[in-house]
Amino acid sequence: MGDGMSSNGIGRLTGKVALVTGAGSRSEIIGNGQAAALLFAQQGCKVVLVDFEEENLSRTLRKISDQGGEASFYVGDVSNALDCQKMVELAVNTYGHLNILHNNVGVGGSGTVLEVEPEQWDHIMAVNVKSMMLTSKYAIPEIALSGGGTVINISSISAIRPRGLTPYTVSKGAVIALTKAMAVDHAAEKVRVNCILPGPIFSSMTSVNMSDEVRELRRRSSPMGIEGSPMDIANAALYLASDESRWVTGISLVVDGGVSLMSPQR
Amino acid sequence: MRLESKVSIVTGGASGMGAAESVLFASEGSHVVVADMRIEDGMEIVDEIKSSGGNATFMELDVTDEKRWSVVVADVLSQFGTIDVLVNNAGLSGSYQSDIMSLEAYDRLMNVNSRGVFLGMRSVLPAMCESGSGSIVNISSISGIVGQSYVHMGYNASKGAVRIMTKSAAVQYAENGIRVNSVHPGIMPPMVTSVGTADPETRKIMLEDVPMNRVGLVGEVANAVLFLASDEASYITGAELPVDGGLTAR
Repeated sequence: MGDGMSSNGIGRLTGKVALVTGAGSRSEIIGNGQAAALLFAQQGCKVVLVDFEEENLSRTLRKISDQGGEASFYVGDVSNALDCQKMVELAVNTYGHLNILHNNVGVGGSGTVLEVEPEQWDHIMAVNVKSMMLTSKYAIPEIALSGGGTVINISSISAIRPRGLTPYTVSKGAVIALTKAMAVDHAAEKVRVNCILPGPIFSSMTSVNMSDEVRELRRRSSPMGIEGSPMDIANAALYLASDESRWVTGISLVVDGGVSLMSPQR
Repeated sequence: MRLESKVSIVTGGASGMGAAESVLFASEGSHVVVADMRIEDGMEIVDEIKSSGGNATFMELDVTDEKRWSVVVADVLSQFGTIDVLVNNAGLSGSYQSDIMSLEAYDRLMNVNSRGVFLGMRSVLPAMCESGSGSIVNISSISGIVGQSYVHMGYNASKGAVRIMTKSAAVQYAENGIRVNSVHPGIMPPMVTSVGTADPETRKIMLEDVPMNRVGLVGEVANAVLFLASDEASYITGAELPVDGGLTAR
């Protein structure tokens, strides 16, 4: 429509091709990347799933084919430049173009600068930040060639509310800066770049070794008193991936049930 | 449909972004109450919605008028039984007067843009608390985030007030199941009340700040408001969503 309004109904990503990193799930509990991949496919998008373990990917691939969606997969390491180049090539060779890059890959990292080992620091920065630079490096030219599109990076509210996870906090702060810098750099090529800051959601990554007590504490850290789910993050990613947000770039969208508005005990 | 059977009030719904929000909400299944001072324009939007098969009602409202707010809320509740969504969209342009240091303009901007939003929230919150759910979307502006050379600083103050009031309301009413978020449009087509910022030379300067190098469309803001109003944003409260072509990223 001429006034920029979305068209009504289903298929909000019809005709688009997305590359979703971290799209696997290590258990039957849903992950952020997996939730986004499922939702994108439901909305008519062709999806290339990337993860470093084929078994993790097969769970997502099965769910997408069960719901009648179209997906391919690439097993690789997003902190490796060659893998990033190849996954972009796979998307373009398989589906003809690329519109959406959704960067989900990330690892946790706790401790202060006194506690963290330099090698551990480098690893966290490589997986959480360098990976997004690398995937973008190869994806952005293809997105521009396809007539424009969008990059969505997963940051965290840890970037704005530090609490003893210093390497993680710093890496996620870098994701916000990288998002804004790429948004400014590539606006003229019609490539939009935005990030999402999830709060304490219960996902395949965060659920590992989480006790019921901790889970309950995380739930109560939201003034809404509800636990976030990867679907909440996926819904935000869908908005940012679709043309509904075509004048939105460089933003940091907080999806946290209000957690970062206050600083309750957690 | 993304707002199936929800009842929404859109203030300033007769023109510009408010009209776009009203039309989009109706197309997503909401019954829309177009609330505005401008009766004829408001009726026209309601007719447009109805002629394309949607549900809408016009109600006269000056957002600075506490008594009118009570009447509108009571009418909506008696006719439709609930208020699910409030979009506090009504506002006065930061250049409605060419003198951008006018004291009278400062007071008026704060009265309409800030106090009007407070009155809106205050008026619908009791009903939303009773039903245990609701979504309020307050239209702030990039002017609530960054300073600008071409608008009254009272406009920035009024939009900054909306931004932070949104976060307080989000914290205070989260336990009642009510979400409150703000949308921050960037350089848009001139508003009905714009004077200085409607000048073509000024608009050229304004556009230089936008990485995407164009003005926003009212529908693009409406899309963001729809997302926050809908249940897709059920874990989002107190958030600010710029729709600005990258202006505040720079």
